[in-house]
Amino acid sequence: MNVRKIITLVEDTLTEGGRAVDPAARVAVVAAVIENPWHGQGFVEDLAPGIDATASDLGKLLAPRVVEALGAPVEAYGKAAIVGLDGEVEHGSALIHTLKFGDHFRIAAEATTLLPAVEKRAAAGTVFDIPLKHKTDATIRSHHQSIEVRLADAPHPGEIVIALAAAAQGRPQQRLASLSTEQ
Amino acid sequence: MFSSNPSPEARAAGIRKIVYLQEEVLLENGTAPAVPALKATAAAVVANPWLGTGPDTDLSEQAKLIAPQIARELTGRLLAGLGGAEAIEAFGKAAIVGTAGEIEHAGALIHTPYFGNLVREFLDGTSIICFADDRAEAGQPLVVPLWHKTQAATRSHYQTATARVADGPLPHEIVVIAAASTGPRPHARIGDRTTDRPVTAKILAGATA
Repeated sequence: MNVRKIITLVEDTLTEGGRAVDPAARVAVVAAVIENPWHGQGFVEDLAPGIDATASDLGKLLAPRVVEALGAPVEAYGKAAIVGLDGEVEHGSALIHTLKFGDHFRIAAEATTLLPAVEKRAAAGTVFDIPLKHKTDATIRSHHQSIEVRLADAPHPGEIVIALAAAAQGRPQQRLASLSTEQ
Repeated sequence: MFSSNPSPEARAAGIRKIVYLQEEVLLENGTAPAVPALKATAAAVVANPWLGTGPDTDLSEQAKLIAPQIARELTGRLLAGLGGAEAIEAFGKAAIVGTAGEIEHAGALIHTPYFGNLVREFLDGTSIICFADDRAEAGQPLVVPLWHKTQAATRSHYQTATARVADGPLPHEIVVIAAASTGPRPHARIGDRTTDRPVTAKILAGATA
């Protein structure tokens, strides 16, 4: 796995809707810009060898970093794969939609649910939103949120951006009734 | 890394949000940098205290109140994220004023001693701090220039960091940015003033004749 750069984004919200958020609400993202393992190989039918060679190492690299950047217990989480223009969306999906990748984050965050994800193909500098949901109950409405990310010079056509996002709480001024009240 | 909670003074300064973005380059042009560097921007989104005032308004009173709190909060994050003042070698600053503000409002929060002197002091530098400023809609990226914190003409440290706040500045806000790097560009190799040969149009004309 060739990693070109690692980006850490920490966003703290102090007020929302004109009212104080105290303690401040934090969402953190750590992204690795890697060489697409299948770059230049044409249509690769069997992606399993590339997944085996890359996905677990990626999870191991990113999970502890995003937990550290958050600096608090993880309550909600999500993930992203943004494939450079020479690749297939399937390449990004291959790296993040496997337990080999996600379990590193699940264990580090003491989480149980599936990680919500965004995956797309785009040029360097694209803006993408990572969806986050509660780490043990994906129906907890207060924790449905997303964070917007942009890396100035990634992904290059032969690269993939892989990111993990973690939130220490739900939305800053969450005040929707729980899902169960509609049932 | 650093606490999510700013000082009460920073809250009082009207900060809505603080966005920290750090970049670590492991490979550039396929090769690991000889001197690995961390580079970061810390951006505070603050309410524009001069909204609706005319161009004859004295900006110094509010600048004196607000800018020092922002300087302390932003440099605190850079210091914690990058490993302290001893690790930081280059710095820069910037501001983006929202569309309801005046470009001078951006300048008022970064181009006075109430911000610049304190950023320099907290990051333990001596150079003038290079800068960028702009008026823009929320989500507009701004490329922030950095140079060496004690030897501004050190060419290896001429570099930039791109800052961006997804939902700021709102029209009535200002984004204030401090930036720092722990080293030079990944493969800096274009010499320096001390190694440059004399170059003028006349010399070049002779060289190509």
